[in-house]
Amino acid sequence: MNAALSRAGSSLYATLERVAVFIVLGLLWEKAVDIFAIKPYLLPPLSSVLRSVWHNRVMLLDQALVTGGEIVLGYAAAVLGGVLIALAIFAWPIAYRMFYPVLVLFQGLPKIALAPLMVIWVGYGTSSKVLMAFMFAFFPVVISTLGGLAGTPEHLVEHFRAIKASPWTMFRRLQLPAALPSIMDGCKTAMPLAVIGAIVGEFVGSQRGLGYLILEANAQARTDLLFAALVAISALAGVLYWIVELLANRVWWRAL
Amino acid sequence: MVAGIVKISILRKGALEAAIRVVRVSKTFVGADEVRALDDVTFDVGRGEFVSILGPSGCGKSTLLRIVAGLIMPDAGGTVEVLGHSQTAPSNDVGVVFQTHNLLPWLTLEANIRLAAEVQGIAAAEISERVEAMLPALKLESFRKAYPHQLSGGMRQRTALGQALVRQPQVLLLDEPFAALDALTRDQLNVELLRLWQEIRKTVILVTHSIAEAVFLADRVLVMSDRPGRMMEDLRIELPRPRDPHSTKGRPDFSRYVLHLGALMGIA
Repeated sequence: MNAALSRAGSSLYATLERVAVFIVLGLLWEKAVDIFAIKPYLLPPLSSVLRSVWHNRVMLLDQALVTGGEIVLGYAAAVLGGVLIALAIFAWPIAYRMFYPVLVLFQGLPKIALAPLMVIWVGYGTSSKVLMAFMFAFFPVVISTLGGLAGTPEHLVEHFRAIKASPWTMFRRLQLPAALPSIMDGCKTAMPLAVIGAIVGEFVGSQRGLGYLILEANAQARTDLLFAALVAISALAGVLYWIVELLANRVWWRAL
Repeated sequence: MVAGIVKISILRKGALEAAIRVVRVSKTFVGADEVRALDDVTFDVGRGEFVSILGPSGCGKSTLLRIVAGLIMPDAGGTVEVLGHSQTAPSNDVGVVFQTHNLLPWLTLEANIRLAAEVQGIAAAEISERVEAMLPALKLESFRKAYPHQLSGGMRQRTALGQALVRQPQVLLLDEPFAALDALTRDQLNVELLRLWQEIRKTVILVTHSIAEAVFLADRVLVMSDRPGRMMEDLRIELPRPRDPHSTKGRPDFSRYVLHLGALMGIA
């Protein structure tokens, strides 16, 4: 067998391994509901969940687009804001002394508890969900950016000093690229947090989105629809994380 | 003292114009414990001269080199002049190569070399010209698109040398640039360094703890004592140039220099 075929074979095998886990878990679910005679309003069998997904596919997609939009906006704000906050803290020691303690205190707050306040402040619309996604997601970006900047190898900093690089050149050509692998780690951590933020935002006050759909399905005791919404959320979160990971993989110089 | 070895005092070399003048330089690092790294060091290096600074590890020779480079300041009272200017900050006249290479992992070999010149504000076309002229001399032509992690240790140090040379400094400061390499690669790079130096005739200070390397390369060897580093010896090496590993290292006077320096450093 030639190399290309062997590679294709092993990648097919790896895919099978991944799919196999889901199939086994799915079968266990389906059979367990049957064997233990679990009532459908507690745990519907997988087949009826999948049926519900298929029946409600248009509606699920619409709601996923709503929630997805909130997540993407909040996440983008978190990455941008997190990096900017970190840069300010890194560049100005006074910003570090003044704002870092505030930031850490804020991070200690259960942000779920802030959700009702956000609705009061910015209303029932998209903005309160975007704000929640932002608040959940920005902190790891700040921390990872700061860590990356501080972790710039000392001998490279000395080299840049020796060639008389300006602070701006040092930042743009050394510190920022050196920090990128760490920043990417922060971005990966932040993605699922943004999802949680948006869903929590929808729980507190909303007429649209997958979080709202979960509450609605719950109120109507339609557990199959609730699970369908959960499937949609995991699919959405998975796709978004995968996109972030693809972008992060472009920063290939980590751990060299 | 061994015959044929002539000690040259700083004053007697007045004929040679000094490129580097180090006067009464001391350095104490203040911290939890005060460490006196250098104690009253005075020497100068003539224009185009190749000087090796030899000393045991931890004797402050790297500190001395960083002071000459303007990266750290000596204690009050000491002065460093490079090409007539007081060296209180890094300058474009001076190129430095450290033991650990300074290559950015996210840039290709060529981009790494270019960067050092770009920072200096040299026009892109001029940089390209310099790089094209330099890559063959450094034997790096076919690796220009490679990233540092794809290069051998020797190639990385050659690239680091290229980073310094592309800026066309008048003075080259080398801090054990080949110390991390295996003996064979190291010897080979020393030969190449010598050939390069013969072409460009820059003023060079090489810091090393290898006696044979210091003697083989240099016009003069300065020997430093253990910490706090003091100048113990200023020895002119009268070996003919061009030098090559076989004939030069086979000469009786080469062995005499090595023995003499070894005795000074207490390892002969």
